[in-house]
Parts: sequence; C-alpha cells; structure tokens
Amino acid sequence: MQSWLNQPLTWGNVLVLFLWAVVFLFIVLGFVTYAIYFERKVIGWMQLRIGPNRVGPFGMLQTVADIFKLLIKEDTIPRKADRVLFILAPALAYVPAFSVLAVLPYTQNLYFADLNVGLLYYVALSGISTLAIVVGGWASNNKYALLGGMRSAAQMISYEVPLVISVVGVILLSGSLNLRDIVAAQGGGWFWEWNFLPQIIGFVVFIIAAVSELNRTPFDLPEAESELVAGYHVEYSGFRFAFFMLSEYVYVYAIAALTTVLFLGGWHAPAPFLDFVPGIVWFLLKFAFIVFFLFWIRATLPRIRVDQLMALGWKVLLPVSLLNVFLTAVYLELFIKN
Amino acid sequence: MFNIAITGEFVAFFTLSAIMICGAVLMLSLEKVVHMVISMAAVFIGLAGMFVLLEAEFVAFVQVLIYAGAVSILMIFGIMMTKHHAVEQEPSKPLHQTLAAIAAISLFGILFYAIRTTTFPEQQQPFQPGEDNTMAIGELLYTGYVIPFELLSVLLTVAFIGAIVIAKKEAD
Repeated sequence: MQSWLNQPLTWGNVLVLFLWAVVFLFIVLGFVTYAIYFERKVIGWMQLRIGPNRVGPFGMLQTVADIFKLLIKEDTIPRKADRVLFILAPALAYVPAFSVLAVLPYTQNLYFADLNVGLLYYVALSGISTLAIVVGGWASNNKYALLGGMRSAAQMISYEVPLVISVVGVILLSGSLNLRDIVAAQGGGWFWEWNFLPQIIGFVVFIIAAVSELNRTPFDLPEAESELVAGYHVEYSGFRFAFFMLSEYVYVYAIAALTTVLFLGGWHAPAPFLDFVPGIVWFLLKFAFIVFFLFWIRATLPRIRVDQLMALGWKVLLPVSLLNVFLTAVYLELFIKN
Repeated sequence: MFNIAITGEFVAFFTLSAIMICGAVLMLSLEKVVHMVISMAAVFIGLAGMFVLLEAEFVAFVQVLIYAGAVSILMIFGIMMTKHHAVEQEPSKPLHQTLAAIAAISLFGILFYAIRTTTFPEQQQPFQPGEDNTMAIGELLYTGYVIPFELLSVLLTVAFIGAIVIAKKEAD
C-alpha cells in the first residue's frame, strides 16, 4: 500500500485507489452479513437453541435473505416528517462509520492510510454518527423516535469521554497517535508485552465504554427491543433502516479492529517463535475473538438499569480512566524516562 | 489573469470552499433552526478539510471533534430541549436589510482590495510544516505557553463547576 499512497495523484491512481475502496466496501459488507449470521448462531447455541438453519446450507443465506427483504420493502416516509433530514440521516450515519476504517492497519504492509493522527481521526469522525442519530430521531417527527435519539446521543456522548481518555495511556506508552506506530511499539516479544496488560485499567474501561458506544447489550437501552418501542429508528423502514443497522455493525468491525490494534498487539505473534505465521492471520484471529466476545456478553449479560447507566459512565468509568492516565504518566516519569 | 495550475490541491480547495460557502448561505437562509445547525456543521467540516490541505491534521480533526461533533450536538440538544417553535418568523425590516447588505459588500470590497494590493514577501525556503505537528503543538503548549494553558484549564474548571451549581439549584 505504501507505494500506492506515496505516488503523485494521477487519474490512473485515483481509479486504483477507488477500486481498492470498492473492494474494501464489499469485504466490510461480507463481514457484516456473516457477523449477523454468527451472532444469531452463537447466541442460539449459548441459549441451547439451533439458530437460523433453514435458508441455504446451515442457514448461511439467512442474512442475505433478510437484507433482500429489507431492500424490497416499501420505503415509507411519514407525511409529517422532515423529508430532507429524514433522507439524509441514514447516509450521515453510514459515511463516518465507513470512513473511520481507513486508518486501521491490518499488517505491516496492508493499510489504507498512514495518518499521524489516526486515533484522533477515528474519535472525531465517530462523533458525527451521534449527530446523525439525533437528526434521524428528530426528523421522524415522532415522540418515541425523538426520545430514542436523545437517549442514544446522551449515552454515546457520556461513554465517548471515558473511551477517549482510556486510550491516552496507550498513547503515552507508545508516544504516537499513529495506529501503525502504536502496533509497532508493542512488537517483538511475548504477548504480555502488548498493551492490554501494562494498561489493564485502560483496557477494561475501553472495553466497557466501547460496548456502550456500540449500543449493545448490556448497554442497549436506546433500542431495548423487549422493553421499548425501538429507538431513534422507529419510523424507518426498508433500506434506510438497513443503513442504520449496517453502520452499527460497521462500528462493531471498527471497534474490534481498534481494540486489536491498541491493546492486543495488532499483527504481532503472541510468542517470538510463532513469527513464521503471517501477521494477517494473527490480526484476524484477535479480531475474530473480539467480535465473538461482543456476541458472548450479549448472550450472557442482563441489561443494565437505566438509572445506573449514566452513573456508571460519569462516576465510575471517567474517574478510573483519569486515574489510569495519572498512573501511566507517573510510571513513565519514574521508571522509563531515567 | 488567473495564473493557476489545476492540481489536486486546487480542486480540493474549491470543493471545500463550495461546501463552506453553501453551508454558510444555507445557515442564514434556512428557516428551521435544526437545519441551520446541520448546515453549520457542513461549514465546520469544510473548514477541517481546509486545515488538512494546510497540513495541520491535528487542528483539522480537533475541529471535527469539537465543532462538527460536540458543538453541533450541544446546539441541537439545546434547541430540542428548549424551543417549541421550530420555525422562527422574523418581521421583515427593509431598511435594516439594505444597510446590512451595503456593509457586507463594502467589507468584501475592502478585503478584496487589500488582498489584491498586498505583495507577499518571497519566501527564502519553501514552507515546511512540522513532520509531526501533534508533538510540536504539545511541546509548545507545555513550554512556551504553559501559563495561558493552565489559566484556560482553570477557567474551564470554573465554568464546569458553575454549570453544575446552576443545574443543582434548578433541580432542588
């Protein structure tokens, strides 16, 4: 990739980069399709059910059928809705979700952008999705959608703060905001040198805040289907609804990859003698484990109560993440600097 | 007249300018307040793109994070929580509007004249942006500008506590 990125911009290069983006889009769509399938299968097995098994071999085409159903559904726009924003909101939710994937490095040589503020780019763009959710809820002109949008936004903003502060420790340790440098700083040794053990407090805060950012169980209050009339997307149907769902699963991809990069050593092997296995295999293994972990907690944890949600974010996670920054800085000052 | 070469930077500059000018004009001409906030967010994002063109990535993404993300959401929350009339009807004031137009046009004229008549000094060496401008900003903040930086932190803390006190008073 490096050679492509450093060439001058000609029409041929633009075409090649565009094709790369299209290929990547299809990879992400494939991931989303099968992530939904595995989510239903895994949760099914954990609850002693079979899960989808009718469409295609082992039910593999179930998600494809579901997406097809969404696409051919009637596209309804409520008469009193704010038409422009109602149409704009799903796109506004999806664009940042796909754009943040650009800075994630997969191996030493496979990455799409080498940005020296990669982590900041991720955090900044993922904030735009919150805007889309509020706008979608408001434009529906439905009080449940508006309330759902407000709740999603309040939750996402509250948990974004500890999420960002929890990675400051990682930035301190590696001295860079570039995700490639962060991975490189963890390399060359055993798996306990990856950031997740030295930064165990930050890691735990990051995982909790990330699950909450994704609006997944146990923090799926904005769209708790068994208790509420859905959330901000209650008036959406057909492919606009599919877009909101798609951006949610693209964020699952993004968070899983980001966790791998920040805390689990990216493409590095867990032990020096395992270096002969290509880096992409290690990356995918760790990535798949994080995705599985997200499904696992969804299947096993009950939903948190609504009055505990904000208190957990502001009164527990935020002070703990600040403490982590402080401890990391003290450690660096006392032991590393001298 | 226009001695410019069509480069990628040039195209990007004009695209971003178009986004920003459209956003700004829409911000003024739209009637619903939420629409105004969205068009203002477009201006902020265009501005962030301009910072990227100037190779100031850190400022660019902070711009997206703070203005396009946080400030816009804060404004939308404020509007939704407080305002019941989405559309604001203002009485038309012809004299006021004419005077404002004259002032705006003369300001544009003065600025345009000043920019066209200024001769920029030839640069000895081409502009070299910092290789890692995040680190450069950090070093400056904690060496040369440490006192203003700390004063700002104190100010923010005071504002934060003040907001909590006001909210607490209303809750009781």
